[in-house]
Amino acid sequence: MTPDRLRLRAGARAIALGAVAAAALLLPSLAGTYYIRLATGIYMFGLLAAAWNLIGGYTGYPDFGGAAFLGIGAYATGIMMVRAHTPFPVALTSGCLLAAGVAVLMGSLLLRLRGHYFAIATLGFMLVLQQLAANLEITGGGSGMNLPVARTFTTFYYWMLGALALAIAAGWVLPGLRVGYALAAIRENQDAAQVLGIAPLPYKIIAYAGNAFLFAAAGGIYAYWFTFIDPPTVFNVDFTIQAIVMTLFGGPGTAAGPLVGAVILKSLDTVLTSRSVFLHNVFFGALVCVLVIFAPRGIAEIARAPGGLLQAIRAELRESRL
Amino acid sequence: MTPLLEGRGLTKLFGRLVAVDHVDLAIEPGEIVGLIGPNGAGKSTLINLITGLDAATDGSLEFAGRDLAGLGPPTIARLGIARTFQVAQPFRNMTVRQNVAVPALFRAFPAADVRTALRDADTLLDAVGLGPKRDLPARALTTPDLRRLELAKALALHPRLMLLDEVMAGLTPAEVDRAMVLLRQVNAEGIALLVIEHVLRAVMGLCRRVIVLHHGRKIAEGSPAQVTQDAAVIEAYLGPRALRSTPLGPAPRNESGRGP
Repeated sequence: MTPDRLRLRAGARAIALGAVAAAALLLPSLAGTYYIRLATGIYMFGLLAAAWNLIGGYTGYPDFGGAAFLGIGAYATGIMMVRAHTPFPVALTSGCLLAAGVAVLMGSLLLRLRGHYFAIATLGFMLVLQQLAANLEITGGGSGMNLPVARTFTTFYYWMLGALALAIAAGWVLPGLRVGYALAAIRENQDAAQVLGIAPLPYKIIAYAGNAFLFAAAGGIYAYWFTFIDPPTVFNVDFTIQAIVMTLFGGPGTAAGPLVGAVILKSLDTVLTSRSVFLHNVFFGALVCVLVIFAPRGIAEIARAPGGLLQAIRAELRESRL
Repeated sequence: MTPLLEGRGLTKLFGRLVAVDHVDLAIEPGEIVGLIGPNGAGKSTLINLITGLDAATDGSLEFAGRDLAGLGPPTIARLGIARTFQVAQPFRNMTVRQNVAVPALFRAFPAADVRTALRDADTLLDAVGLGPKRDLPARALTTPDLRRLELAKALALHPRLMLLDEVMAGLTPAEVDRAMVLLRQVNAEGIALLVIEHVLRAVMGLCRRVIVLHHGRKIAEGSPAQVTQDAAVIEAYLGPRALRSTPLGPAPRNESGRGP
């Protein structure tokens, strides 16, 4: 491609990005409450997917315990606001840092495992925290916890948008950094990475802590938004699974993939749920199957493949020798 | 001169199987040493011991005067020991250029940022003849190209010793010739090479000294001419009856360039 055309494409991309950012910033003054809430929900799942993408996509570690950090963020924010009357931004930031700290500790144990073992261990860790929250006094136990009510809903919209932007930006810059190279090498071939000088554990911990920080951000904002949390709602594996499906759909290991996946699937989800809850489950079950078989690298790969969808499916069939 | 790498009594047990059995070896700085032996002789295991992928059951290893005991693969790599794998181990979904940038980024010396690492990668890719393919994903490469990539990655570590595990397997005779020229160039930069190879023509052409392993034991060591006339070596490769009828001369049998 000529430099002129490259510059043109970069220019077009910058304009598109600017337009999306402007639309996102202005939405609350243009749309009604329903759409603001809907958008906030989509941002939340975009945030979760982009966070999961750090450990699951870029690093290739199938984390099933993301909701553990969402719960930590939610409870830390709630406890600090209710018991210490901490302002929300401080409580939220503390919750995120706490989650990242827990991720460093847990990660230094769990990230030594590979594949299915890692997946099961992270899920177990999440369930342990759920039980802990249900039995401690400071969390309000099984009866949950009420948070102060915010004055306007728009606040949550902007908090979620900000956290989402942070998560996307992290995925955007990561591949160009030294850490990004280490993570990609670990994902592709950990033994080869080691004999080329990479000690995997510290880099995996960085990705895991980043993922935890962002899951906790979603949790903290969610708690203040819904003003009520209890153990099964925040330590909920459904959050993790949706983040995984959206990332796989959009394209793991790409910056925009998780957001694309969240926007498309959450919109479909909203439409289908309003028709029939049953249909919605059938649809998502089938979608996961098709995705895993034909497009394990998500629609990002299909979009990039010359000739589009059909060729991608044919290539996948050849590669998997079905 | 003290050897660059010195192993004494290296032994590796897998359960009751003795994969490597009290092997002594020494490699001088800048030397090319061949390591040959029939399949299952313990050659790859020996390389795994040196690079820290397997822990030795017994014995000692020193590199440039430093004890390697208990060090992991990343540390050993950063000390200056690079290796290639018998089956190429590319980072399949990264580009060829990114593959080579990885070791450049994580070597101990000279330290490189991402930009420098990519520039180094370009230089090395041109040197091994992969320049035009730098932007392809590694999964798209052919077998000879994958071997070149393995070599470029090992070189990007700026090693003092390279362990080459069958880099010529599956190459055509013409490709073997090109690979030999390349390895001589690498060696001319002062990098010592330990060459595991079934392509005897390459071993004989490159190495002044050859070590022969059989059932984990070192059965011979010497010049290519010496080891190919060694009774124990002939027996190991061709069986006891061969000793009486067909002595393996210094001219290699394996002219095709393909492994036995």
